[in-house]
Amino acid sequence: MKWNLPSLEELEDAIWRCTACGTCKVAYDYGPPARCREICPSGTQFGFEGFMASKGKIAFARGILNGDLEWDDELVEAVYKCTICAGCQSQCQLDHKPVIPEIFEALRRKAVEAGAGPLPAQKVIAQSLRSYDNPYQGPRRVRTDWTRQFKKGKQKPIKDINKEPAPILYFVGCTGAYNLPARVIPQATASIFNKLGLDFGILGENELCCGSTAMRLGDAEAFKRMAEANLETFKRLHEKQGVETIVTACAGCYRAILKDYSLAEDYQSMMKGLKVIHVSQFLFDLHQAGKLPFAGSLPKKVTYHDPCHAGRHLSKFLIDQDGSQFWAGAYIGLNEEDCLYDAPRALLQAIPGTELVEMERIRANSYCCGGGGGVMTGFPDWAQRNAALRIREGEETGAEAMVSICPFCHYNLNQGAQGIGSALKLFDLTELIDQVLPEKG
Amino acid sequence: MHVVNKDAILSELASIVGKENASASKHIRYAYSYDMSFVTPKMPDYVVMATTVEQIQGVMRLANREKIPVVPYTAGTNIGGLTIPERGGILLDLKRMNKILTIDTESHYAVIEPGVSHAQLASALYTHKLRFGWPVGPPSASVSSCAISHGIGGLNARYGLNSQEITSMEVVLPTGDLVRVGSCAINPEAWHSVLPMPQMDGLFKGWLGSTGVVTKLGITVHPIPPVLKVFTVSCQNVDDMVSYMMNLSLYEMCDDLTAVSWWLAQVPIPYPYKPKPDTAPEWFSFANTNSFTEKEKEAREEIWRMVVDEEQKKGTSIQVTQYPEEALRARTQLPSQIVGSTKNYCKQGGAGISWPGTFTPANKWAPVYKDWKKILIDHNLSPSIRMSMYRGVHYGMLRAMIPFNKKNPKETENARQAIVECLKVDLDHGGMPYKPPVDFAVEINKRAHPGYLMLLKKIKALLDPNDIMNPGKLGI
Repeated sequence: MKWNLPSLEELEDAIWRCTACGTCKVAYDYGPPARCREICPSGTQFGFEGFMASKGKIAFARGILNGDLEWDDELVEAVYKCTICAGCQSQCQLDHKPVIPEIFEALRRKAVEAGAGPLPAQKVIAQSLRSYDNPYQGPRRVRTDWTRQFKKGKQKPIKDINKEPAPILYFVGCTGAYNLPARVIPQATASIFNKLGLDFGILGENELCCGSTAMRLGDAEAFKRMAEANLETFKRLHEKQGVETIVTACAGCYRAILKDYSLAEDYQSMMKGLKVIHVSQFLFDLHQAGKLPFAGSLPKKVTYHDPCHAGRHLSKFLIDQDGSQFWAGAYIGLNEEDCLYDAPRALLQAIPGTELVEMERIRANSYCCGGGGGVMTGFPDWAQRNAALRIREGEETGAEAMVSICPFCHYNLNQGAQGIGSALKLFDLTELIDQVLPEKG
Repeated sequence: MHVVNKDAILSELASIVGKENASASKHIRYAYSYDMSFVTPKMPDYVVMATTVEQIQGVMRLANREKIPVVPYTAGTNIGGLTIPERGGILLDLKRMNKILTIDTESHYAVIEPGVSHAQLASALYTHKLRFGWPVGPPSASVSSCAISHGIGGLNARYGLNSQEITSMEVVLPTGDLVRVGSCAINPEAWHSVLPMPQMDGLFKGWLGSTGVVTKLGITVHPIPPVLKVFTVSCQNVDDMVSYMMNLSLYEMCDDLTAVSWWLAQVPIPYPYKPKPDTAPEWFSFANTNSFTEKEKEAREEIWRMVVDEEQKKGTSIQVTQYPEEALRARTQLPSQIVGSTKNYCKQGGAGISWPGTFTPANKWAPVYKDWKKILIDHNLSPSIRMSMYRGVHYGMLRAMIPFNKKNPKETENARQAIVECLKVDLDHGGMPYKPPVDFAVEINKRAHPGYLMLLKKIKALLDPNDIMNPGKLGI
């Protein structure tokens, strides 16, 4: 399969469109009222200009391209001290804005090609992907442990979609399957689907990692291997098992399948007849259609954390490709229709008794939990400290719980909360919805 | 390298600011080696991030002892290469000293640390319905660095330069000594005024970080009058625009009175030069006013209409013009990500931007502009020029924003040469460059009165006996 993963050299023109003005360094909104807070986890933690937002990482990229910098352990470590959250991208207004995360990832691919990256701790992920098809070194049979509650009692068993046809594939993702605290997410999701009487199935032990982590780490080969296998599976399931919709409750998987996989030249043909949707949007659509009947009340004051992968990472950028409007490559504007900002909030507000209070940094200015981009593996202490900053921001709202739609954020924010002894509880949106959704009568 | 044992110096720096805040790694230093300007990239030998005044004193004492240059740095957003180390040394990054220490809502002043950004202060002041003169720089730029470098802001016509808003200072000298100037020198809680004592704040303003590290800065802040009105005109030539601006300035009613040439009004500035359409006006002006009541606004409008009427009766080409909404927002909603990100400067220019930025008598703007226009067009660069009146009528900012392709050394040198040529013309007309790169400083000093240079050197030697503070930047 042919992939359009740009090399650092192919992005050189974009790299040179960065003026080093530093607008990317803070989340700022004129308002009124004017609002300003930090946006870059790396800059917040490490401070030196090279760690600071896109200005800093582009300095590294420029240095490598110019030959002014060479790969050494310190530079490699610095290149991986970034959550690829794209918070800086949201601030930038210049022509390279649309490809800022792509520049960072191309720089990492360059490091991998040079044999310098990723970090030793992160190399374990690549090895695990090869050995176990997941980044957690978890045996394949463990992937379905979360389904045990559906195999006994009143819960309806979950279909193995390889054996039984269904129009909906629930793509669970590795974090929900292997990470113990995050298992509540697939459990709640499957429970909701059962209560709604949806005909769905899972891949079970045959599910493979989406490859998102490999992509973020610059391990192009590992990513392509996983992505190609998944695309083949999706195509087969569509043709043989009648799958039409791929639902995922993982922001990382969603971003990968929707955006990263689209870099394959065959993406359109492989996904023909299929659509991928995040569970929050899926449930929102049902709610809009009057098919999500809440019962009872869930009196809770909650705040909502926008995951990077389900939010600003899905921004689409309007670019004057041929120069017919302004000049070739001119950044014109932003289309946020794919960014899952509104659906989760609308669902939270629809839950009887639940009150949503907002943090200061939300939507495109959401402050990253600190777990992405390989940071949770490469720098677990920093990831936890950064999550604690977000937890503190949540506490400022007076909320008793923070809700999100990403198992990765869920886990890391939990770690952050535990690290500082916060009373703030972490919930996935599906957990709350499951609590107010009656059993199908 | 300025020292024999780099490891020993790094170790000592680490003992002062903490190991995680001191580095001699190449990639860390590299990110401080360039900015937007044409100034040749140069790396410091060390980078340290200080978080306390005591740490800064420690760094300065070490540097003074070892005669290592120190370059103070906040955001690096100037376009004159002011924080590019001419002679290596220690780059002292102050971004983490970013506390707003006081906002006195009754006496209308604030006390800030050097790392406080315009965005941060704007956010804090807004809760009190207060404001400052926000420049058109990036929101992340430092309030303190802008003010002590005689930076300009959006309230220049009303209150003067941002440096004229300074009320008190705390400074670490190159020797490590801690000093205060202004009212805070007499009473540590009083940060309201640099007067009536000798204005020793002048020892640290306009010196390009070569006399000390400002660690606390008092600045006046102002109420936000809620009624905004922007008066906009256009005309066909610079003489008519200058006449209009000088006339309107007489009434001292604008927060900002600025004119931009057609080329500067384009997004982006054409690079390389392209001719203006014959039908387009060559100059546009916006006069920002803020009033407390509608009646006050109407009174300002009455005066403005009178001025326009007078100018038209003189036979000038001044016309009342509707400004595009987006352009108005860019001029009134500061700090601005869009304006501050140099969006209109660099899109076609390959990430380079520099200027001849000057304080020039208003009655010299027209002849200087005409010469600049010729020079710039000869260099295939757009005459993208701005004129802004400072408080009163007699002088103001005249500058050309020059984008260029930094990736190409020839194009960079072309821009540098054009800018220096422009600068010479301005100096000949009595103008003075501000935030000047070294090339400019050399030109200034060539023309300086010998007594000025002598005094400059004596003061510099007194404050910085080992010439360690941002050496080379003054061109002496």
